[in-house]
Amino acid sequence: MKVTALTKKYRIGQEIVTALDRVDLTVKQGEFLCILGTSGSGKSTLLHLMAGLERPTKGDISINGKTLSGMKEKDMALFRRKHMGFVFQSYNLIPTMTALENVSLPLIFDGSDTRERVGKARELLIQLGLKDRFRHKPQEMSGGQQQRVSIARALVNNPRILFADEPTGNLDSKTTKEIMEILREKVSQSGLTLVMVTHDNELAEYADRCIYMVDGMITQIVEKGARHEEA
Amino acid sequence: MNKLDLLQLAQKSLWRRKARTILTVTGVMIGTTAIVVMLSLGIGLNESQRRSMESWGSLNVIRVQPGTNYDNEGNPLGEAKRLNDETVEEIKAIDGVWAVTPAYDAGGEARFGRKRGGLQLIGVDPAAMENLEFTPLLGRLLEPGDRNVIVVGSEVINQFQDEADIKKMQRGMMISPGMREDKDPADIMDQRLTMELYSGTNREQKKVFAFQVVGVLEGEQKEHSYQAYAPIEDVKKMRRFLNQASGGSTSSMSREIAMKMGGGAVSVRRVGGSKSSSRIEADDYSYILVHTKDVSDTKIVSQALKDQGFNSWSMADQLEGIEKTSRTIQAILGGIGAITLLVAAIGITNTMIMAIYERTREIGIMKVIGATFRDIHSMFLAEAGLIGFFGGIIGLGLSYTVSYVINQISKDFMNRGMPPGTEEAIGISLIPGWLALFAVLFAIMIGILAGLYPANRAVRLSPINAIRND
Repeated sequence: MKVTALTKKYRIGQEIVTALDRVDLTVKQGEFLCILGTSGSGKSTLLHLMAGLERPTKGDISINGKTLSGMKEKDMALFRRKHMGFVFQSYNLIPTMTALENVSLPLIFDGSDTRERVGKARELLIQLGLKDRFRHKPQEMSGGQQQRVSIARALVNNPRILFADEPTGNLDSKTTKEIMEILREKVSQSGLTLVMVTHDNELAEYADRCIYMVDGMITQIVEKGARHEEA
Repeated sequence: MNKLDLLQLAQKSLWRRKARTILTVTGVMIGTTAIVVMLSLGIGLNESQRRSMESWGSLNVIRVQPGTNYDNEGNPLGEAKRLNDETVEEIKAIDGVWAVTPAYDAGGEARFGRKRGGLQLIGVDPAAMENLEFTPLLGRLLEPGDRNVIVVGSEVINQFQDEADIKKMQRGMMISPGMREDKDPADIMDQRLTMELYSGTNREQKKVFAFQVVGVLEGEQKEHSYQAYAPIEDVKKMRRFLNQASGGSTSSMSREIAMKMGGGAVSVRRVGGSKSSSRIEADDYSYILVHTKDVSDTKIVSQALKDQGFNSWSMADQLEGIEKTSRTIQAILGGIGAITLLVAAIGITNTMIMAIYERTREIGIMKVIGATFRDIHSMFLAEAGLIGFFGGIIGLGLSYTVSYVINQISKDFMNRGMPPGTEEAIGISLIPGWLALFAVLFAIMIGILAGLYPANRAVRLSPINAIRND
């Protein structure tokens, strides 16, 4: 994935705010990339743009040679459906659906048949240690369990890129560790690309590479192993 | 996204806000019921009018009479047409005509056994009889080649009385037969019916015509119930006999069929039309019966006949005016129902907009994980459509109930004062199959239309706002 001179400006009232300012970035296949920054640094905006949820003011994103900004809304949705997965801070599960239904929802939109999608959803939930939670609704589960359901949902379509927006923001440190290990393992095992946004420096250690953002610009890129020193 | 999943999702999200869904469905239900019941009243009205007209005579028969047509101001339109074999051919050539028979009217007194009574005799083409909506109750219809046979209406028997009774009546011993009991039409079957005709200025010539009764026609209280039908050649012969003695065709105006009745002569029925009868020849038919396959043909043929200058009359012509009236009534009633359904539609829109506010986040998530605009759009339309569908189905059920109740109540009124034994009045509210189907489809359509605006709003929701961390 290649990001070139990406700029995003918002209009808030009379003022124009620049959320991203000519960002250039390349993400390799199978890489665990961590985007670090304080709130308002533009890290979430960058993630949304890379996922095609928003359109850039200027600049371009291409994934495997495909340019996102040229895509129609429908093709973008199909692209997300086929190749992307999402994990959020607040899990964003559908409250009225059971764990199993939540996980199979992306496949419902894809039109796959019931047996196939239930099979896949079960398999993933079992992998993530939720064997006895199939029929539970989100509010009947702990935060860690909900986040695991949401990871299962993100993976059910065998995506090539997984986007995670503060995936552990609502979790305690023990569960955070669990979740991060799951994500790390998935990336190492399956050649999945993971782009994670967080403000928690601790999590950077799981990543292959970290970028630091301030005021819509990348200020520092740190390769794996090199522990970030607080400046 | 396949259709079954779509409906399942829609049904699930409807069910989780039960109270609101039920209230909205109730709105549609009331709207549907209003429309269906209102329309059913209009249809019932139409149908009962049609039936009461039909009970008088078939809607598929046109009667072409001698004489001219008149416009609205009473001016004659064109010249009177003669009714003869040429005109019969002319009429046969008209599109939509199914069968044609010329007819001679004759009448007089007839007797069989010890009974006698008045008989209205009509000569028709025996070959055409089965195409003229006659069905035999007993025996058979006239068939090609028949001579000296007769088929009578079911009420004809009631016009005959015992010789002895008539004499008693004449002496004032019996008061007029007001409450005549119904006699069994089978009594007249296979009887030999005779008519004595006299001709000449002084009735010096006498001839007896005899007919074998071979059939009794089905249907009570119809035009034909009181008539008897004989092969046209036989009736022609009767007329020739009457005419030859009284001076042939020139005296057709004064032609009379004289019958013997207890010693006294009675003259009955001047044959022919009124105003232009001077042009009618002796051999001209009294009238021509034209038969069509259905009512719509009748109207077309009837118009065609009028255009060609025939003086035609059909029950269907009368029906048109009535239909116009009931169409107006139907439109008014349907309009009232439509307003109710419109209110229900606004209810659906409102419910769906509320649903969008509640489910902003959910819609956003679905978009993020790969729902297209179209998926979201169809999900909302499916929900709105389902509300319409359930409202329509339940409303239809309710309509049948309401319609049943209306008919029960109205039957009490309508059958009151009717003589016993008459056909029971049909309900004033009728729900034909097409109306039931239409009602449900219409309710679904209304639901979908009402869902369009909310669905478009749902599509426009930004997924970013939905998933932004709280």
